[in-house]
Amino acid sequence: MIEVSNISKQVTSSEGTLRILEQINLSLEAGESLAIIGPSGSGKSTLLGILAGLDVPTSGTVSIDGENITAMDEEGRAAVRAGHVGFVFQSFHLLPGLTALENVALPLELQGMADALQTARAYLERVGLGERVSHYPRQLSGGEQQRVALARAFACRPAILFADEPTGNLDTGTGKKINDLLFELNAEEGTTLILVTHEKTLAERCNRRLELQAGRQLESLSGISA
Amino acid sequence: MLALKMLLRSWRGGQLGLIFSALVLAVAVVTSVALLAERVERALVKESSSFLAADLVVSSSQATDAEWLQRAEQQSIRTAQIASFASMTFAGDEMHLASIKAVESSYPLRGAVKRSTVPFATDESDIETVESGPKPGELWVDSRLLPLLNIELGDTVDVGDGSFQVSHILIEEPDSGSSFSAYGARILMNWSDLPASGVIQPGSRVSYRFLIAAAEDNTDKFDDYVDWLNQQLDVHDRIITPDEAQASIASTMDKGRRFLLLAGSIGVVLAGIALALASHHFANGQLLQVALFKSWGISANRVRKLYIQQIVLLAIGGSLMGLLIGWGFHQLLVSAVREWLPIALPMAGARPWITGFATGILCLIGFTLPALWHLPTQSPLAVLRRDTQVKSLNSLIRGSLGVLTVAMLLFWYSENFYLSMAILLGFAITALASIGVGIVLLRLGKTYGHWMGSIWRLALSNLWRRKKPSLIQMVGFSGAIALLMIMTVVRTSLVDEWRWQLAEDAPNHFLVNVAAYELEGVKNLVDQRELETAGWYSMVRGRITHLNNQLPSEVAKDGHESLRRELNLSWTSDLPEGNKIIQGQWWGTGNESSNNLAPVSLEEELLHELGLAIGDTVTFSVGGLSFDAVITSTRSLNWDSMTPNFYFLFPEGYLEDYPRTHMTSLYIPSEDKLLVNDLLRKYPTVQVIELDKIIDRIRSIVSQVTRGLEMITLLILGCGILVMFAAVSLSMNERLQESAILRTLGSSRRLILGVQWVEFTTLGVMAGFLAALGAEFAVAMLQRFMFSLPFMWHSWLWIAGPLGGGLLVGLLGVVYSRKAVTQPPLRVLNSL
Repeated sequence: MIEVSNISKQVTSSEGTLRILEQINLSLEAGESLAIIGPSGSGKSTLLGILAGLDVPTSGTVSIDGENITAMDEEGRAAVRAGHVGFVFQSFHLLPGLTALENVALPLELQGMADALQTARAYLERVGLGERVSHYPRQLSGGEQQRVALARAFACRPAILFADEPTGNLDTGTGKKINDLLFELNAEEGTTLILVTHEKTLAERCNRRLELQAGRQLESLSGISA
Repeated sequence: MLALKMLLRSWRGGQLGLIFSALVLAVAVVTSVALLAERVERALVKESSSFLAADLVVSSSQATDAEWLQRAEQQSIRTAQIASFASMTFAGDEMHLASIKAVESSYPLRGAVKRSTVPFATDESDIETVESGPKPGELWVDSRLLPLLNIELGDTVDVGDGSFQVSHILIEEPDSGSSFSAYGARILMNWSDLPASGVIQPGSRVSYRFLIAAAEDNTDKFDDYVDWLNQQLDVHDRIITPDEAQASIASTMDKGRRFLLLAGSIGVVLAGIALALASHHFANGQLLQVALFKSWGISANRVRKLYIQQIVLLAIGGSLMGLLIGWGFHQLLVSAVREWLPIALPMAGARPWITGFATGILCLIGFTLPALWHLPTQSPLAVLRRDTQVKSLNSLIRGSLGVLTVAMLLFWYSENFYLSMAILLGFAITALASIGVGIVLLRLGKTYGHWMGSIWRLALSNLWRRKKPSLIQMVGFSGAIALLMIMTVVRTSLVDEWRWQLAEDAPNHFLVNVAAYELEGVKNLVDQRELETAGWYSMVRGRITHLNNQLPSEVAKDGHESLRRELNLSWTSDLPEGNKIIQGQWWGTGNESSNNLAPVSLEEELLHELGLAIGDTVTFSVGGLSFDAVITSTRSLNWDSMTPNFYFLFPEGYLEDYPRTHMTSLYIPSEDKLLVNDLLRKYPTVQVIELDKIIDRIRSIVSQVTRGLEMITLLILGCGILVMFAAVSLSMNERLQESAILRTLGSSRRLILGVQWVEFTTLGVMAGFLAALGAEFAVAMLQRFMFSLPFMWHSWLWIAGPLGGGLLVGLLGVVYSRKAVTQPPLRVLNSL
């Protein structure tokens, strides 16, 4: 599903060259879940961005479904994202002017789906927000907002879901509920899940883990291949 | 349609409010002003046509060409011919040299003739309005002809070889001021009686007028005919347009119309600034959405297409709404001035609507599109990292696009180069000064703010820290204030200039041709009614026989009336009020009579029309005696002053020995109007030129225009406030966030509001000062090139600008940021 080979990322600034990622390799099959862990500044989010095709490595290749996305231009990567990828973010990134329903429906509408609103409503019901479809993000709690974000991500039925610290902004109790929901939906939809987290418990729920330290893969990929 | 859905959602979310209001306001201002301007202009043309008795007149020393008449008939153009001449009239033993106007039966083509069966009628119930002239065999005559020839209505008067019955008293014909000689009682006769009278012979001095008017719904053919006619004219012929027929009203209306354009143009620029600021704000709010779109795999092209579609939809919706509101506002304007309107306003054509709609589209293309242009380049990585920078369209390109749009709108809208340039340059100076001086002032504030209290220190360093938005805001504030200043200054000077026209006691009658032996009697009559004259002027009737000792050519004679008729020559030692020396020197300097010739001061325009220059000689013939005069100076006259004006003025001591008459102007209130009748009964040879009706009309038009200007000014003020709102809202999120954090840290309400107050007031004071600079420049240009007003320094701008700017902007800022202290900080932070 995803093949990562020797990717490195360097940024050049006035203070010299900064190595953010070095020689990362990994391979993930469809339906597997991977946790990228490590301390702050270890390059987790950068790696996630590169895997999702939002960013490009300085060297190395990333292939999704056999297509080398690092050789593509932004338009090509966009097309790959459109077909395969979904996101959940630490700060939810819901659009404040749209209701919960519209937030979930928006990517579906952009895909040209005819019954975007019905599908969105169905997913909101699945995350337990069937009664709150017409609420705006500011009227929802943090946990509720992240559930809307989950509904939005899964409604597009992505092959791979990228989650960047999905519970980083939530208290432990709410965070746990969101995690439960995330894995539940992941299991139901058969999605490949790649998440960045600080939380050990969350990382442990993934069947594979990649630990980073100062941009380096600390140890070889651990966990059980599905 | 997804774009429509997105647009509606943005609207509901309140992100479009400012853009939409600015757009609607731009379109509404342009539409209402254009509608009003066009309707007033059409009314004016119609009104002026009635002064001309036609839509257009060809004045000539020759009878109308048969081909002109034939072609007019083929194209269904309405025509009438007029011949004006002086002829001796007889009744019994009495005779009088009358001013006769022979008119075809189709006369008048526009307006109506007023006649009566009561001599010297002043009562409206005695006066009848008809749309035709006398029938063949009839004469309509001036009341004073009756005592002059000692006749009554129904009697017969001989004109040349013909005898005609006096059937009516002629009170007023629409073109009364145009072709009649100022002397002799007026007589209107039918054109078909001309051959029988035999008064027109080869060599007779006759001035012909060919009147034409468009038939209903036939304006295209009319324009074609006028184009064709223009090519047929020779030196004998002169076209007279409705504007020329009523120069005084036309000039008032023209200035009013120019002001409308100025106000409208300022409205457009203001709305443009508001739109640019609002679009900038909107674009910032769209960054997350675009980043999300990109992360979902939506291509940059698709994003661009979605936003362009939204802009097009917004342009259509906003423009339609603007047209509707513009129409409503123009109706409001019309109803506000209706009671002053002498006539109904004709409906406007399609142009104002097209102008309004196109303004909306152009504004969004010029101001909103560039502000959103960079959105598709937003990196999808922004969803993961807050520090990604999106490179917006180069501000130089954006600025140039905005200026280009404003310039296009201004030129297209005002069709006036100077107006557009004045506004553009005024605004450019303000904007550049705002950036240049702004940086220096902000830096100074930051440096020296340390010496002040904590509020000042914090506020001034905030301004410096946010210098880019601060400067954008300052451009917005100063631009808006400058434009409002320009409008106020021009409006005030126009209203001042018109004030004399609104003066209740401006002279409204001229008494001319008062013989020396009648002078005392006339003065007594005037004194008995306790009326005041503008002073008595003596004048001598003379004819120009030679220019520089050469006979004027026939072509020159045909080309200029003053070479064909007698002129009024007067003398005075002091330069009359309203006269201004343009070239040469007024007498009294001792060098004017070095060669024993009489010095003469000539009106500037006539000098050019006769092809003369200072130092040239003019030979006059007065009562058979001839004398030479040398031109020593030229003067400009104020024709609007309603006091006697003379083309030729001599010093004292040259003309006193010739037979002279006297003239004056005076204000006769309507209750003393009978004085005119008493005067004419007693002194039938005195000519009374009655201008009271025209002056009343001017007065009513001026008050309408003034009132219209006040309302437009209010509308534009609304635009200005909108710009201020747009500019204040620019940095508001950031300010609220900072204030909420300060609040969380326990800062007092006083500190938070104080900081906002100082920041905005400082911006406002600086903007007001810079606005005065730009406004002073633009106003100087406008007054010089557009309104022909003298340059004046407006010291109040430099005081009112900073004061008003500081107060208004400070107040707006505090009102806007009040939320930061009235709501719990967490709620404020969550709402951002």
